[in-house]
Amino acid sequence: MDDFEKELKSGYLEEASQLLADAEQCFLSLEKASEDASIVEKIFRLAHNLKGSARAVGFMDIGEFTHQLESLLLKIKNKEMQIQSSTVSLLLECNDHLRMMVDTLRTDMDARVDSQALMAEIGRHLNGEVQSEEAPESLELVPPPASAFEEEAVTEEVAQVEEIQASEQEEEVIETEVSFDQLTSVVENSLREEKHRLELVSSGPAPVQPAQPQKTATPTGPVDESIRVSLKRLERLMNNVGELVILQAVLNQQKHSVQSMLMQKTIDQLAKITKDIQDISMSLRMVPVKQTFQKMQRIVRDTSKALSKEVVLDISGEDTELDKIVLEQIGDPLVHLVRNAVDHGLESTEERVARGKSSQGTVWLSAFHQGSHIVIEVRDDGHGLDAQKLIAKAREKGVIKPNQELTDEQAYHLVFAPGFSTKTEITDISGRGVGMDVVKNNIQQLQGEIQLETEKGKGTCFRILLPLTLSIIDGMVIRAGEERYVVPISQVHESVQPEGQDVHFVTGLGEVLSLRGENIPLFRLTSVLGRKTVPRPVTESIAIVIRNGKSPFSILVDDIIGHQQVVIKRLGHGVQNMKGISGGAILGDGRAALILDFNELASRATPATSAITSAVMKGAA
Amino acid sequence: MEQKKSKGQSQRYLNFSLGSEEYAIPLNAVKEVIALPEVTSVPYTPPHFLGIMNLRGQVISVIDLRLKFGIKAETTAETAVIICEMGQHSLGMVVSSVNSVLALEESEISPKPEIHSHRNTDYIQGVAKKDKHLVLLLDIVKALSAEEQAAISRATGVKKAA
Repeated sequence: MDDFEKELKSGYLEEASQLLADAEQCFLSLEKASEDASIVEKIFRLAHNLKGSARAVGFMDIGEFTHQLESLLLKIKNKEMQIQSSTVSLLLECNDHLRMMVDTLRTDMDARVDSQALMAEIGRHLNGEVQSEEAPESLELVPPPASAFEEEAVTEEVAQVEEIQASEQEEEVIETEVSFDQLTSVVENSLREEKHRLELVSSGPAPVQPAQPQKTATPTGPVDESIRVSLKRLERLMNNVGELVILQAVLNQQKHSVQSMLMQKTIDQLAKITKDIQDISMSLRMVPVKQTFQKMQRIVRDTSKALSKEVVLDISGEDTELDKIVLEQIGDPLVHLVRNAVDHGLESTEERVARGKSSQGTVWLSAFHQGSHIVIEVRDDGHGLDAQKLIAKAREKGVIKPNQELTDEQAYHLVFAPGFSTKTEITDISGRGVGMDVVKNNIQQLQGEIQLETEKGKGTCFRILLPLTLSIIDGMVIRAGEERYVVPISQVHESVQPEGQDVHFVTGLGEVLSLRGENIPLFRLTSVLGRKTVPRPVTESIAIVIRNGKSPFSILVDDIIGHQQVVIKRLGHGVQNMKGISGGAILGDGRAALILDFNELASRATPATSAITSAVMKGAA
Repeated sequence: MEQKKSKGQSQRYLNFSLGSEEYAIPLNAVKEVIALPEVTSVPYTPPHFLGIMNLRGQVISVIDLRLKFGIKAETTAETAVIICEMGQHSLGMVVSSVNSVLALEESEISPKPEIHSHRNTDYIQGVAKKDKHLVLLLDIVKALSAEEQAAISRATGVKKAA
């Protein structure tokens, strides 16, 4: 294989995976709106592109398979065949198969993949469900009605092909029978750049050629062009930008010592640009959860089909942005949760009807910000968890001791225990009960938390709370003793300078702050952190009031220094997962500072509440 | 930190002092050596854990290797921080001074002397001779993972006490 051919082939594979990803979305929407001709049209074009290019670059296996697939699609397109859910299943299966083929070819370009079984299946669909007078293999089927457009496009570009490319490739193509398709594909492959340029030109509305086949080759369209960058590089960029910002701050402080007006102006301009660069680089890592959520459509569909349940997936908040790494790692746990919701969470259709629920079960998948967390919820309207059943099961499995008594709340958390599965039979949908404890571990590794809410007969809700680690927060920089700390502004409710008579000492409770008639506990940050300092008079300190926890409390700090956007850096050796410290940050003057979590610190300071909250938070798992 | 090498090939070590004792770690684990920067202390950590520092935009932990080994810590102009790669994170280690790079043949490294004590000396890989001194070869991962273990158990201890 010479280099040119290799390049063509790898180019094709790249393109093919794009096309397949696109096609999958189409198949799924096809199921919902089978009447929508434009979707069928689009799928047909995708398959057509795939086939044409495959043959042109010499992937005959794919060519043969897609040809068969195309015959099926053509029937659907010409309305000679009804779209049933079994058809969509078959189409999706074909899509998976093609993806597998592409993946195999990626590693070895000479690999052969056997597709006989699936092709036979397609054949059955072609013959069995529709009285087809033509044999599916017949090549005469191929020139599709869309060929009018293609012809135009092709003839237009063939001339260019001949100019630019050696005839060798074309001959090869013509030998492999069908004409138009191949020509189009040759155009596509050899004129990729050319086409790209053309596309850019014709990216606006093209009413004359609505079905221009080339368009689908880059499904994202020229507007949303993107390149892949390794996270390592991104991290380096972020670190350097961090440093840049700090140096900029120094420049800003010192600019008045410079006489030259020009210099001062330049520093000001530089500051603006630095801010811009900082904003951009910080947003680089964040990606919307959309793609991950969309994949769940497929999961729900496949799972519910296999279990013959009627399930709708309701997605919201798909524009919520998450750090790329976090999003990648949350993918698998989400799949588990969604599958579980469909399999274990929802009742069978008959059962639902018997209970007077709508026969169609719903799974909600939503993402939103809440305080300093990003929350992803997987909720179903199924039968909820049954505490007694869970306890019985746990006893049987030996997860808990026979005489151990559990509250309902504790019982629910048994689902996270290793080796626990509530379904009596093992299904190949939700696996062998290895899921939930793994899910929990994965989430905890992201320093997140998973919560569970359930109501018998109403449904179950799994809530994943992800901290904004790796992402950016608005921080309040405070000082206590010698050190400065960062507190997420989202945690701060208000800050007050207490008067002498506002602070009282109550035996057993410690210090209490009266705030507009309300009495809330007051902790001194230095002593919470175990620093030995001479206590400052409260009148010279500032009390920060926190209200987003279980109960309000206040923390006494020496001073509030300012407000800064900080990148949360994970702490390394020796200080990972410390309670009350959520990360490190770099302050304006270049010093590293700790980011504090006041809620955790306060629970650390008050033994009684900490026992309660930690029991609630961590559950009985 | 890999110690695998074929016979006769020498491996390079960074030689440094802790007080009057000499130590060395494999050079390929070392990212850089810097002067002692400003360090922000972290609550609830043992004394040898100095805190965190900013290394060009990265927050990394700094430990004082002298305090870790129970050697008196004196800050002089020679005091330096060796930044080494520890898995995903970097770590800064404060040492009394950084001396030189040693190229040691395998034959020059003798096994560590058997010391009958309850103290775990797993983190010492071997001993090499340099001029008239003995240089202890440290396995930094082992030396510090014991440390990490201790930190974790301490943290849980605090939780229980709370």
